[in-house]
Amino acid sequence: MGKAKTSRKGKKAWRANISTEDIEDFYEKATKDALSGGNLSAAPSEDLFHVEKSHDLPVKRKIEKHRERVLRCDSILKKNPFVVAVSSSKPKLKKSKKTIVTESKTSKQVQKNDGDDSVMVDLWGDDSKGELESNPRKVSKITSIIPAVEIEPPGCSYNPTTESHQDVLAKAVAQEMQKVYKTELGPAPVPLTIDADEINEDERYFLDVDDVNEDEDDGDVENEVSEAGNKLPRKTKRVTRVELNKRTRQKALRKKETKEKYKKKISNEIDSLSNIIEEIAQEDEDKQNKHLRKVIAKQDVLKIRPPRLGKHKFEAPPVQVLLTEEMTGSLRKLKACCTLARDRFKSLEKRGILVPSKNIRRN
Amino acid sequence: MPKHYRPAGKKKEGNAARYMTRSQALKHLQVNLNLFRRLCIVKGIFPREPKKKVKGNHHTYYHVKDIAFLQHEPLLEKFREIKTYQKKVKKAKAKKNEELARLLLTRQPTYKLDRLIRERYPTFIDALRDLDDCLTMVHLFAVLPASDRENLEVKRVHNCRRLSHEWQAYISRNHALRKVFVSVKGIYYQAELEGQKITWLTPHAIQQVFTNDVDFSVLLTFLEFYETLLAFINFKLYHSLNVKYPPILDSRLEALAADLYALSRYIDASSRGMTVEPKVDASSSSQSNDCEESELRLAQLQHQLPSSEPGALMHIVADNNKEVEEDEETRVCKSLFKDLKFFLSREVPRESLLFVIPAFGGMVSWEGEGAPFKEDDESITHHIIDKPSAGHLYLSREYVQPQWIYDCVNARIILPTEKYLVGRIPPPHLSPFVDNESEGYVPDYAETIKRLQAAARNEVLPLPGVGKEDLEDPQNLLYAGVISRAEEAEAATIKKKMATLEKQYHEELKMEVKVKGSNAVVSPVVAEGSEGEESVDDATKQRIAREDADTSTVMMSRKKRKLYEAMKIGKDKKKESVERIIRRKKELNATQE
Repeated sequence: MGKAKTSRKGKKAWRANISTEDIEDFYEKATKDALSGGNLSAAPSEDLFHVEKSHDLPVKRKIEKHRERVLRCDSILKKNPFVVAVSSSKPKLKKSKKTIVTESKTSKQVQKNDGDDSVMVDLWGDDSKGELESNPRKVSKITSIIPAVEIEPPGCSYNPTTESHQDVLAKAVAQEMQKVYKTELGPAPVPLTIDADEINEDERYFLDVDDVNEDEDDGDVENEVSEAGNKLPRKTKRVTRVELNKRTRQKALRKKETKEKYKKKISNEIDSLSNIIEEIAQEDEDKQNKHLRKVIAKQDVLKIRPPRLGKHKFEAPPVQVLLTEEMTGSLRKLKACCTLARDRFKSLEKRGILVPSKNIRRN
Repeated sequence: MPKHYRPAGKKKEGNAARYMTRSQALKHLQVNLNLFRRLCIVKGIFPREPKKKVKGNHHTYYHVKDIAFLQHEPLLEKFREIKTYQKKVKKAKAKKNEELARLLLTRQPTYKLDRLIRERYPTFIDALRDLDDCLTMVHLFAVLPASDRENLEVKRVHNCRRLSHEWQAYISRNHALRKVFVSVKGIYYQAELEGQKITWLTPHAIQQVFTNDVDFSVLLTFLEFYETLLAFINFKLYHSLNVKYPPILDSRLEALAADLYALSRYIDASSRGMTVEPKVDASSSSQSNDCEESELRLAQLQHQLPSSEPGALMHIVADNNKEVEEDEETRVCKSLFKDLKFFLSREVPRESLLFVIPAFGGMVSWEGEGAPFKEDDESITHHIIDKPSAGHLYLSREYVQPQWIYDCVNARIILPTEKYLVGRIPPPHLSPFVDNESEGYVPDYAETIKRLQAAARNEVLPLPGVGKEDLEDPQNLLYAGVISRAEEAEAATIKKKMATLEKQYHEELKMEVKVKGSNAVVSPVVAEGSEGEESVDDATKQRIAREDADTSTVMMSRKKRKLYEAMKIGKDKKKESVERIIRRKKELNATQE
């Protein structure tokens, strides 16, 4: 690459090609410094900044001063202690209280949040406040009458008396047998394999053919029947005027008869009014009894079973009871229950807090 | 929006307007199912069963107002914030920016449940009332193995352990424990605190397993709430004793897994420390507010306590329990095991007994390091052992099975130890939660205990004619056991006296019975004379009673009447079951003979 092509003809031309930027920059800077009062970078920091040490307050801004001024009307009222200023509208006491409360709450919360997790406070330090402070919404705490920790019957003791143990054991057996019967009485499951000879391919074709033939035969028969049916009801007689008149007469007659019958019935009923009243009373009683039975049954069911909350029914866990041969009377040899987590989970389901579900984990 | 505006398709009234299904609620709140579940658990909102299930029987329904209540929960916003923050972390990780991810994780937003506890339990009593489930859950998770699969961290298990021990230490120090029942499932305890009966279940000392039919994420959410609740309750309880709450324990005892003992010592130390501490400060003269140093001092203080005195609890009882007003029952519980010293063998359930024995005023030690006194201590009165035979026997003490403790506690008397000696099959462990009178059936051993209780009362206030059995009855041998051996000679004389008195009483009884029998026989036959008059009176009385019952049923409101009838049906059922049990017992006896 050669040099940039510049003319070297005369001095003027040569001068034009030289950049004088640095010189110009220097002059610019120098004038700036001169105007601003010396080079900033060279000056010591004490010259540039100074620490405000005087204690007198800065002069208040004009606007604030303006704000502080009391209006004449107000000042007049203020001077007279007997005159109470009338507010423009009635203050809503309730609302103002609420806002105050919320403010204090939020401030407290902020304080709490600032603190570390380990900082504990007495939540119920002022119990009186707890009563006054109305809940935002009354949450129905009790979902069911079943207690959180159900105490097992005495037969479930690790060293039970024989009678109570037998009692509980009978219940457990009944529970198991119920399951067995349910599977026995239910529909038999479809077998996965059947013991039979394999069918040849040729025979398989024949099987299909047979079916088709039978189907066709059936269809033919049905067609014939339906055709025969269609022909029959088409034969209708024309109704003559005489016949129509006869029909109307008969209709009127029948109406009259029914009316008379009704009258007779009513008179009969009036005669046997006492009987009817008795009947009604009995009916009422029956109804009431039925209702009562229903209510009691429902309450009984609620004691052992939660309301149906979802797709699946609640299934009670098996009773934890020792078998007769496991009863040793020694705490050391006790074959204890190791599935307490399940017990807790089932209890939650039973109390209607969780929705019972099947197959929680599929693996 | 005007007040009367109702969106298209929205129902105005009825079940359709009052309830919404879970999926509708999710949509309404704009949260996912997991978050919704957590919110519901924490907030205490549960599904309901409407009378008319508008969307079908296979849906879960929530009340509209419940959902609106959830919607205004500040925690919902917080959860959303956390979710977005998690996204940031995830993004950093995906970009392989480990540094940023780590940094972000250290500054994760957290949430607290204090406000919710206050909201759900406005007063302390409310919280105590609902503590059963909480305690059971915390006790259960204290023994569960930590597991990655279930997302159960070691830290949480330890926290549960700590909380449960703190609770037990308080209960045992205040002698608030009332009943213990060892069942196959676990050990049931019942304590009475501020008039509230709190029942909880603790697992046996065996490995608990994770089963497949349990959703542990749900349980962990419950646990989270319960941990906070129990921490606040413990805080309140400890402050009522003037003890600093998060207790600082002796690390040596903690390492030896004797947390409960360490805690009781801590309580003792700090309640004494109120008086001791100023002296220590003056002597050391270097007042330091440094947390660590005070911790050290506390530990030292605990060491200053004479370690040969295990009944740290007893000291407090002696020292500063005067200001606490006690009811009758607490006093009885406090003095049940007074002056008795127990030693636990290796094979007995230590945790449970360490809780129960001090709760009833006894001193206890165990085999192992850090124990307050050794096995060869001469003053030990009872050695709890669960082996077919003990190795080395000390004559000064009695070797009994652990069931003896539980039975004593339930009966509130020191039962004779003969039946509970080593190698024997102890008498049946009865449930203290069953009211025998209302149940109508009383097991034999319960009757024996009752008689013993009466006998124990007689020691103080001798009254004749409580026992109705002959002295030759084998069960009467137990009388002797109640009275200590030294007084046996005295007891014999007393027994003789009692026997004569009893005989007298029996004769009187027989006389009475005779008179009554004659009454019963005579009255239907004779309708005159004094007895006849009585019978007439009886008849009229019965009639009046019946009439009274009738009128009362008539007077009752429909609801009450139904309740009454339901009660009657229930009573009939109970009677039937009692009869069945008795019948079965007879059959059993018949087969055995």
